[in-house]
Amino acid sequence: MKARMTTRRWLLASLVLLLVAPPLLVGLQRYGRGMQYEHDENPDTPNPEEETEYYFARLAYQQAPSGRRRWGQSWMTDSPAADRYFLQGVRRLTNIHARTKEEYVRPLDEKLFNFPWIYAVEVGHWFLSDQDAARLREYLLRGGFLVVDDFHGTQEWEIFLESITKVFPERPIVEIQLDDPVFHVLYDVDQKVQIPGIQFLRSGRTYEFDGVDPHWRGIYDDQGRLMVVINFDMDLGDAWEWADYPDYPEKWTALAYRFGINYIIYSMTH
Amino acid sequence: MFEFFFKYPRTVFQKGEFVFLSGWPGWLLIVLLVAAVAGLGWHLRRHLVGTGAAERVSPLRRGIALAIEAALLALLLFIAWHPAMRVATLRPQQNVIAVMVDTSKSMGLKESADTRLDKVQAALAGGMLDQIRGKFQVRLYGFSSQADRIEDPKQLTSTGAATRLGESLASVLQQTSTLPLGAVVVFTDGSDNLGSLDRGLMAELRQKKIPIHTVGVGRTEIPKDIEIVDVSVPTQALPGSRLNARVSLRQTGLTGQKAHLTIRDAGKILAARDIPLTASGQNVQTEEILFHSGEAGTRRLQVAIDPLPGEEVIGNNVLTRVVQVIPGRRRILYVEGEPRWEYKFIKRAADEDPTIRLVGLLRTTANKFYRQGIDNEQQLADGFPTKAVELFEYQALIIGTVEATFFTPAQQDLIKEFVNRRGGAALFLGGRHSFSEGGWGASAVAEILPVKLAAGTGTFHRSPVKVELTAQGRESLICRLDEEAAKNLERWGKMPDLADYQTTGEPKPGAVVLMNALLPGNRNTPMLVMQNYGRGRTLAMATGGSWRWRMRLDHKDVSHATFWQQLLRSMVSSTPDAITVTSDRPIYSDEQRVTLRAEVRTKTFEPANNATVAATITSDQGPTTVEMHPSPDQEGVYQVEWTAEKTGSYRVEVAAHRNEEDLGRGTLAFYREDGVAENFHPEQNRQLLERISEQTGGRYWPLEDSKKLPSELSFSEAGITTRESLDLWDMPILYFLALLLLSTGWLLRRTWGAI
Repeated sequence: MKARMTTRRWLLASLVLLLVAPPLLVGLQRYGRGMQYEHDENPDTPNPEEETEYYFARLAYQQAPSGRRRWGQSWMTDSPAADRYFLQGVRRLTNIHARTKEEYVRPLDEKLFNFPWIYAVEVGHWFLSDQDAARLREYLLRGGFLVVDDFHGTQEWEIFLESITKVFPERPIVEIQLDDPVFHVLYDVDQKVQIPGIQFLRSGRTYEFDGVDPHWRGIYDDQGRLMVVINFDMDLGDAWEWADYPDYPEKWTALAYRFGINYIIYSMTH
Repeated sequence: MFEFFFKYPRTVFQKGEFVFLSGWPGWLLIVLLVAAVAGLGWHLRRHLVGTGAAERVSPLRRGIALAIEAALLALLLFIAWHPAMRVATLRPQQNVIAVMVDTSKSMGLKESADTRLDKVQAALAGGMLDQIRGKFQVRLYGFSSQADRIEDPKQLTSTGAATRLGESLASVLQQTSTLPLGAVVVFTDGSDNLGSLDRGLMAELRQKKIPIHTVGVGRTEIPKDIEIVDVSVPTQALPGSRLNARVSLRQTGLTGQKAHLTIRDAGKILAARDIPLTASGQNVQTEEILFHSGEAGTRRLQVAIDPLPGEEVIGNNVLTRVVQVIPGRRRILYVEGEPRWEYKFIKRAADEDPTIRLVGLLRTTANKFYRQGIDNEQQLADGFPTKAVELFEYQALIIGTVEATFFTPAQQDLIKEFVNRRGGAALFLGGRHSFSEGGWGASAVAEILPVKLAAGTGTFHRSPVKVELTAQGRESLICRLDEEAAKNLERWGKMPDLADYQTTGEPKPGAVVLMNALLPGNRNTPMLVMQNYGRGRTLAMATGGSWRWRMRLDHKDVSHATFWQQLLRSMVSSTPDAITVTSDRPIYSDEQRVTLRAEVRTKTFEPANNATVAATITSDQGPTTVEMHPSPDQEGVYQVEWTAEKTGSYRVEVAAHRNEEDLGRGTLAFYREDGVAENFHPEQNRQLLERISEQTGGRYWPLEDSKKLPSELSFSEAGITTRESLDLWDMPILYFLALLLLSTGWLLRRTWGAI
């Protein structure tokens, strides 16, 4: 009898575990990425193979061996929804001939030089080998433009710094002043307002970890032109990704579009 | 020889009139001739039949025999009619002969033991002058840049700094205009190095009907000599520009040797290269040498070839040119219809060039513009300029991928006038709204494009494509990535593909294609085309993807920037300002008279008449201001002649005003030097001397064959003349001819048997 009871308990426990474990695991995973929402479907990409002037090229970097996330593919965060919603905005709001579909590019890909504008997300988890860094340095010195986004707090900054200083050990990272053309080239952005990720809906906080204040930082070339725009302690990617989500405040999406479009036009004019 | 056979010099036959002095009618001569031939024919036929020789002698032989006898008869009849030449001759001792002797430095050149002047003096003293004086009064002149009367040939020295043959001749004719001048004799090497003998002066000499006898002195070819004939460089340039000097040179006796060509500025070598000498004699060899203009200021360039072994004359191995390197930035307006990479990278190239200021008008959204490089907030605030005065502030215009309807019809006309009237350069770039894609074919601007636009759309392709320089492109400074031609070509061969290309259509007649895009199937399409239009130029660069040259080459490689900087500089460097000043010569060698010309235009580049124009000429001696006078036949053009007495550098600043309005300023630099002109063309210019004598009724004589010159001077229609009839019946040629006919007839009879 006791043995039968034990068997029943074991079966029940197994059943509960089977029912609860998968959603729990998924939830944990989502929590780890600071995200609790999922798209039903990604935005349409009419004429996805069209040859255009501008491509939203996302940098496919390696995962950092240290930090909170040593597994997965951080570079893919928010993609392709963020890329495509943003591209819809670029096409609708500007004269830029942009393709509807994103491009992914590794630092050592030869095609990197075909995309003078690239975007790297979650760079608090990135790792650039010496080869990657040398390639990225060459890319930027030739006139390429890098936008990094969605990393937060001291620990992620340190990890970002570790790789970016391999690219430009000699160049300082400085705060971009509000009167810099990058904030005015199309849209006048007069205030540095923190743009939170989707986690805001869960936490009610606009920041993550200890990244309370947003920072727009940059690396300039010898002629005073920005080569790298660093969106630190903010999440433009989420603001693009959730552009069509009613609960995510429109004001932040609108602002993220302005920043993103300014970055493109700046890179095409400076 | 001619005189031996014909009794008289050729001049008699050239100038005289042929007459018969017998008084018998000319028709009688013809009748007698016909009758004589008929009689001879009848006699010959009768003789042949009578002797039974008719079968033995063929008709051809009979005909030849008859012709010989008829010719002999005709000759006798001709002599009987008393032929003569009626010719005008100068009356002895009543006419003046002007004898001119070249005393320029080139006459001091030694050939064998004596100088050219020594030889002339020897010829004159050796009896020639006495012979002339025997018949005529003689006025003796020495001349170089002007003619001066002298009494004795021994007074002559070869010290003249330059030769103005034409003006000296005109001066002598002027000085003797009240005298019965019968002829002019000129002893010279023909080195008219200031080029004063133009077509007008030649016509004037011809009109006076005074025969000019030229006596050529000196060798017609120097055994070993190299001479820089001309150097062509722009008179104005932007600081730090790559410039091309086209050096024309001529040589004799040095074919196959290598010469060292250099360009120096104040002793500092700017460029040097070795050149193989190919063309010889009168053939001109042209070589190019690239150099950098350097900083703003006036460059006095000395283009030189190092003397080669055996060269007798080395003063003609150097030629000087002046280049004014003008400070300040030239403004280019770049209108772009959409943000794109081409804009960014062209702008970067322009920004690196201190001589160019690129002003950008970029349409970022449907109705928003981003302005870059503007001087103030008002500039381009309303978009593309609608007034000439605003657009004409720029020296060049770039139109990117933007549809034609973006510009109003009035703005399209303004673009045309920008090129045509203002003299600006307009560059049209390829793109998805460019050329045919943007409806430019139906616009007023189509007329100024250097290409005939292909009909329809689908001409813009976002496919990578390689480019290749054409023959003109290889020569062009725009496409020079390396100063050495072979390395330049090699670098272009390694250039990455363009990101895109556009098929524009055929280049227009007169347009020059510098670069082609290579398409699959061994086809190509024009990539970079340029043409002159009105006072300006238009260019088409049928791509929006040259940015790929920048992104695909090492960051230290400057090919992209170099190409674009050279293209942009070529656009702005020859765009005229409202006031342009020019001089009649690039450099004044042994020449003091300077003619300055200023073309003055208003701010809308209409010719500015009724303006007050003054030129301030500054030299080491200080400034001098002279007023410039309106040209009678050209609107808005003002001129002045000025004498630059001292050698050295001169700077001219022309200022123009009209009704209190300041029309602007223009500058020019020129250089005066002495003792140079006579180093050039050291050989005798026989061609010129022959032309002078031929056109004036005189004769060319080499000095060594000029002994009979005095006897020919009499045959002239100028001065006080009398008409003489000179018998021709006793010309030796007639008797030689008669003898020839007789002996031929006799010989034929002997050979063919009795006729």
